[in-house]
Amino acid sequence: MAKVKKKRVGFVIDMTPLVDITFLLLTFFMFTAKFKTQAESEQKFVIKRPASTPVDTATIPDKDLAVIKVAIDSATSDTMYYYEVLNEADRQAVWQKMPNFTPELLSKHQLPVDKDMLNELVLATRVVRPATKFAIDADKKLRFKWIADAMDILRRNRATMFNYVTDKKQ
Amino acid sequence: MAGGGGQLKAERAKRGKASKRKKMKRVGFHIDMTPLVDITFLLLTFFMFATTLAAPQVMEMSIPPEIVKQVEVRESELLQIFIRDDDKLFYAKGSDDPQPIELKEVRALAERENLMPNVRNRLITSLKISDDATYDMVIKVLDELNLAEVKITEEIGKELDENGQPKKRERRFTIAPMLEEDIKKLAEL
Repeated sequence: MAKVKKKRVGFVIDMTPLVDITFLLLTFFMFTAKFKTQAESEQKFVIKRPASTPVDTATIPDKDLAVIKVAIDSATSDTMYYYEVLNEADRQAVWQKMPNFTPELLSKHQLPVDKDMLNELVLATRVVRPATKFAIDADKKLRFKWIADAMDILRRNRATMFNYVTDKKQ
Repeated sequence: MAGGGGQLKAERAKRGKASKRKKMKRVGFHIDMTPLVDITFLLLTFFMFATTLAAPQVMEMSIPPEIVKQVEVRESELLQIFIRDDDKLFYAKGSDDPQPIELKEVRALAERENLMPNVRNRLITSLKISDDATYDMVIKVLDELNLAEVKITEEIGKELDENGQPKKRERRFTIAPMLEEDIKKLAEL
C-alpha cells in the first residue's frame, strides 16, 4: 500500500492514562517481587513447605538469621541437612571455623551437612553472633525424626527460640 | 513515560498550524508506542504471576533448654496429644487412656480443655510425636493448637485478676518425645 491514509471517523482514544496506570502497576509489582536468595539459587532441591494459618503476620527475618534446611534432593532422593547463614560477614566467619575448611567453601551460601557438622555450625553461629535467630525449613513429607534431631541440636546449643518456615494456608 | 508521549503530541500540534482541526503536520518524529505498551503489559503480567507465589512465613516456637530435672505435673492439669507413626492422632486427659481424635476436632478439644473451670490458664498441653510421623501432620496439629490459642486468649482476657487488669494468657505447651509405654498403648488402638 502506498499511502496509509487513516480516515478518522470520530473516535480518538487517548491511551495516556492507560499507559500511566500500567507503568504504576508494573513498578508496584517490581518492588514487591521477591527473588531467590543466593543460597536458593545454589541449591538443587525444592522444599515443599507445610502450610499454616497466618495467625499474626510473622514473616521470616531477613538478617541475623541462620536456617537449617532439611530437604530431599530431587536427583538422588536422599534427605540431607543444609545450613545457611544470611549475614554475609557472619557466614564467612562461621564457615572458617569449620574443621575441614577450604577457601573454596567461602563462595557457597549453604552447606550440606550431617548431624555432627550441624551441631558444630550451630555452635559456631552462636559464638559469632549470639543474637542470631534460627529457623527450620523442612519439606513436609519428611519423617519427624529429622526435625526432632534438628530441634535437639538447637536445644543443646541453647537456641531455644526458633521458627518453623511454612507457607501460607489459603 | 506516557506523559512524554502526551507532550510530544502537544508539541506536534503546536508545531503544525494552530488550527482546531486534528490534522498534524508530521515534522519528522513519530514515535509509535505500541511495542512499548506491549512489553509493559508483558512485564506486568510476569511480575503479577511471579509475586503471587506464596511468601514463606514463620511459626514461632520455643523449647526449654536441656531438660535436667523432672517437673511435677498434676494429672488434672495435663492434656496429652499423640501423633502416631501412621499420622493418626490421639489424646489423653491426665492419666486416662488415649482416645482417637480427628484433626478437625483438635481445635475444639484444645479450646474446651483449656477453658475448663478448674484448670483455666494452667493446663499443660504436651504434644508427643512418634519419630516416624510426617512433619506435615505435626505442623497441622501445631497450627490447630495455635488457632485455638486465639479463642482461649480472648476468653481468658475477659476475666479480671486481683489488680483489676484483664488476665494474661499463660500458655504451657511442650513437645516431648514419645515414651515406650506411650508407643505400646497406642499400638493397641
